[in-house]
Amino acid sequence: LSTAEIRAGFTAIKAKIQSRDPIRSLSILNHPQSLHKVKSSDRCCITHQLFTFYVDKVFKHCRTEDSFVNRKISSIANSFLSARRKLGQCREQNNCVCGEESTEKFKQILANYEGLNVTSAAMKSLGELDILLDWMEKSR
Amino acid sequence: SGELYCSLPNPRNVHFESINMKNVLHWSAPEGTGDGVFYKVKYAVYGVGKWIRKPECRNINRTWCDLSSETSDYEEQYYASVKAFLNGTCSEWMETTRFNPLTDTKIDPPMVSVSSTDRSISIILTAPEKWKSSPEEESISLLQVYPGLQYNVSVLNKRTKKRWFFSISNNTLVVPWLEPGTAYCVSAQIHVTTPILDSGFSK
Repeated sequence: LSTAEIRAGFTAIKAKIQSRDPIRSLSILNHPQSLHKVKSSDRCCITHQLFTFYVDKVFKHCRTEDSFVNRKISSIANSFLSARRKLGQCREQNNCVCGEESTEKFKQILANYEGLNVTSAAMKSLGELDILLDWMEKSR
Repeated sequence: SGELYCSLPNPRNVHFESINMKNVLHWSAPEGTGDGVFYKVKYAVYGVGKWIRKPECRNINRTWCDLSSETSDYEEQYYASVKAFLNGTCSEWMETTRFNPLTDTKIDPPMVSVSSTDRSISIILTAPEKWKSSPEEESISLLQVYPGLQYNVSVLNKRTKKRWFFSISNNTLVVPWLEPGTAYCVSAQIHVTTPILDSGFSK
């Protein structure tokens, strides 16, 4: 799973996206517990859940008036779609077990997301892509 | 909060400058103000949001503040903010963008040690260490921080000006079949594939 392409796309729009998120006191992915605390055995499952979360809930609510930003978002979304397909194959081959911890963690992420209005929640989630990428690359 | 009416222009260009995760907040003085301006600094962890004052940077007249200790956990992200004071008035708090120590730091070139036989050069590369608050603290190589860290090595024949480039993941390289009695210049750079980070080439 190459994150370099996603990382490059996000880096190009990071400042513009994060500047649209004024809420410092809440993180979707890292609140109240850091993503880095997830057990290694649960990593595949939560990665798949998070890719599904971004594809189904986040990208569609992130349109902006900036066409450059929109293009980058759709290219990131396409990378997520193909990555999720690959991870789906893992799940089918049963290599991607969902333990209690990842289920709990993902519930928390959804609760954080639903605690905000949808546009703020989507923009904040998009602005936290580097948190997801840092975690994925570190835990490789 | 009992603060004065703030009519002073704001500090400008408030940003982190980071090398090997030594994270220093920098800013420029408010426009049109000469000497006599003092500053306060505070910082916040993203996702927690509570502002925390930095006592060592309270009422300072310099335009930087070392927040390396406060931002040393590179699994977190941070904001910092500065307020200026002059002759009884003050500015607004001016904030940085969100700072991610892992992706927003610069990396120094690697240390290069070279030994040679008459027809080959052996090169050993050492990645810089992450900033630490005291010499007693355990050293963390940036190799541990960035699993995707690689080295780009350049070897130049100073007589023919012919140059070879090598890209290696481990930290040793032997360059064979060289010309005896010839001077070669070896230089190396760190390249992290993701997040994308490149150091300069070593001297």
